[in-house]
Amino acid sequence: MRRPDSAFSAFKPERVSGLKALELMAEGDTVIHRVHTFVKLTATIVYVVVVISFGRYDIGGLLPYFLYPAILTPLSDTPWRAVWRRLLPALPFPLLGGVSNIIFDKAPMIMIGGVALTGGVISFASIMIKALLSVWAVLLLVATTGVSELSRQLSALGVPDAAIVQFNLTYRYLAVLADEARAMYESYILRSADIRGIRVRDMGAFVGTLLLRSIDRAERVYAAMKCRGFSGSYLAPAHGARGKIGAPDLLCLFAVCAAIIILRCLS
Amino acid sequence: MHMADALLSPAVSAAMTVVSVGALGYSAVMLKKEEERGVPLGADDRKVPVMGVMGAFVFAAQMINFTIPATGSSGHIGGGILLAAMLGPHAAFLTLAAVLVIQCLFFADGGLMALGCNIFNMGFYACFAAYPLIFKPIMKLGLGAKNITAASVASVVAGLQLGAFSVVLETLASGVTELPFGTFLLLMMPIHLAIGAIEGVITAGVLCFVMNMRPELLDFSAPGGFGPRKAALSFGRTLMVLLTMAALIGGGLSLYASAYPDGLEWSIEKTAPSSELERTGGAYDTAAKIQESTAIMPDYEFKSAAGGDTGSSFAAAGTSAAGLAGGTMTLVLACAVGWIITMFRKNKREKDNAAA
Repeated sequence: MRRPDSAFSAFKPERVSGLKALELMAEGDTVIHRVHTFVKLTATIVYVVVVISFGRYDIGGLLPYFLYPAILTPLSDTPWRAVWRRLLPALPFPLLGGVSNIIFDKAPMIMIGGVALTGGVISFASIMIKALLSVWAVLLLVATTGVSELSRQLSALGVPDAAIVQFNLTYRYLAVLADEARAMYESYILRSADIRGIRVRDMGAFVGTLLLRSIDRAERVYAAMKCRGFSGSYLAPAHGARGKIGAPDLLCLFAVCAAIIILRCLS
Repeated sequence: MHMADALLSPAVSAAMTVVSVGALGYSAVMLKKEEERGVPLGADDRKVPVMGVMGAFVFAAQMINFTIPATGSSGHIGGGILLAAMLGPHAAFLTLAAVLVIQCLFFADGGLMALGCNIFNMGFYACFAAYPLIFKPIMKLGLGAKNITAASVASVVAGLQLGAFSVVLETLASGVTELPFGTFLLLMMPIHLAIGAIEGVITAGVLCFVMNMRPELLDFSAPGGFGPRKAALSFGRTLMVLLTMAALIGGGLSLYASAYPDGLEWSIEKTAPSSELERTGGAYDTAAKIQESTAIMPDYEFKSAAGGDTGSSFAAAGTSAAGLAGGTMTLVLACAVGWIITMFRKNKREKDNAAA
């Protein structure tokens, strides 16, 4: 939620409100949502590794990999708008790294319609395609898999409980602390005239107050968790249909990974 | 400073993942030992919930952009040293790792395969190099606003500089971009020096505030001074871990440094065949050279000079027009498939809605 008033422009809570949209997407019930989390997680990792393994000039080999997100996005009812919104913040760094290729690599490499493309232009394009595909694949994973489902899978894979609790608590309290920060920020802005953002000399006390409030909240969270029988583990044991991986899931995993790897070998 | 998947090779990302997972395991073990020893905040199993909420705090704090005086631009804090000073280095490292995983999965900040790099660049240096080697030694001189400020600024700047240097090394070792080492370094280091200075001042402000309000919360003002923690956090031990990590990374990187020539050398290598071709142009030699050094696209002269032997030289570079055309066709196919499925599902939804 961006406010038209420029005084609020230095606070960026819209990143957290985007989480709610992701949660809603993950609650969907499509054929992709029903696939076992292990399959989605493994396929995503294999896909991203294969995508980044392409040589810097191999655009021809990379382009077929658009099939994966192009099929999964509509099948999982992930809005195209969400894909676009997700890509924007992810692209500046690859863009920065890629632009240098255009500047430093000027050897002509390929002729298209009488225009010579330099190696730099081609490797720049391949970096941007890789950035697009890898970010897109991770979005599809989290847009079709809830946080608790993902945590359960990580736990089943042997990630320690402490790390899972850490991950979940941080995730769950993002919105709460963002609200706290926003309330403090609005008060600050309303008390001070004609400034954008917080002055550096006030930042210490401001962030310090936020910090103390966070710790107090953490103590209350801990007490409440203790009252409800928290014993160091956050997750209920895996149960139900998604708990165990079935033959169709394994077949799906095999088919997707085989397709990804065969395509790599062919190019 | 978040690395992207697109700038990494699978080998570098695998190496950094192994290093970061190792550091995470080490932190988890040390944290457990600290808890058994009963240090503040970790006297019982309370540390984990506190760490979780502190992770969320880092997010919230990063949403507040501060104005950088006299520049009109703004930045936000990273939080590594702040967390280390509050939670101790091991808990801080685990907390930062969780923050980075969430940033990667839900905010597209840094890639999935780049997680190892990002955890190392932004977490390891702050928690295991800058904090024990710079922050704590300065604080040993005495608790006070001046020492806190000096320690914060020095350690934040050092942590960020090391991190930025790592970004440069990892990018070069991956061999995906053409940026020459020196240029890249000149781009990364001064920017992070400025960011580090301001973040250091803010970190100092926060720590001074906490010291005045709730000094018992600070890692470095723990009751009993540095006594009880000394064994867990000894200088020699930290240095050993640091050296092992450095050797591991150095070894890994040198393997790749020999496989891929330096970025600048490489671009010189790449421009060599084109200057050879241009020599056949004769009279245009000088003009073409000037143009080549200023233009992004090469001149038309290349087209006529290259003529017939385009096929062989392009095949050697591993890219051909035919390969690109084939790839483009699959891209079109992917778009068509995506569009057809979208339309199909939309129709189905509309029918379902009409029926309901």
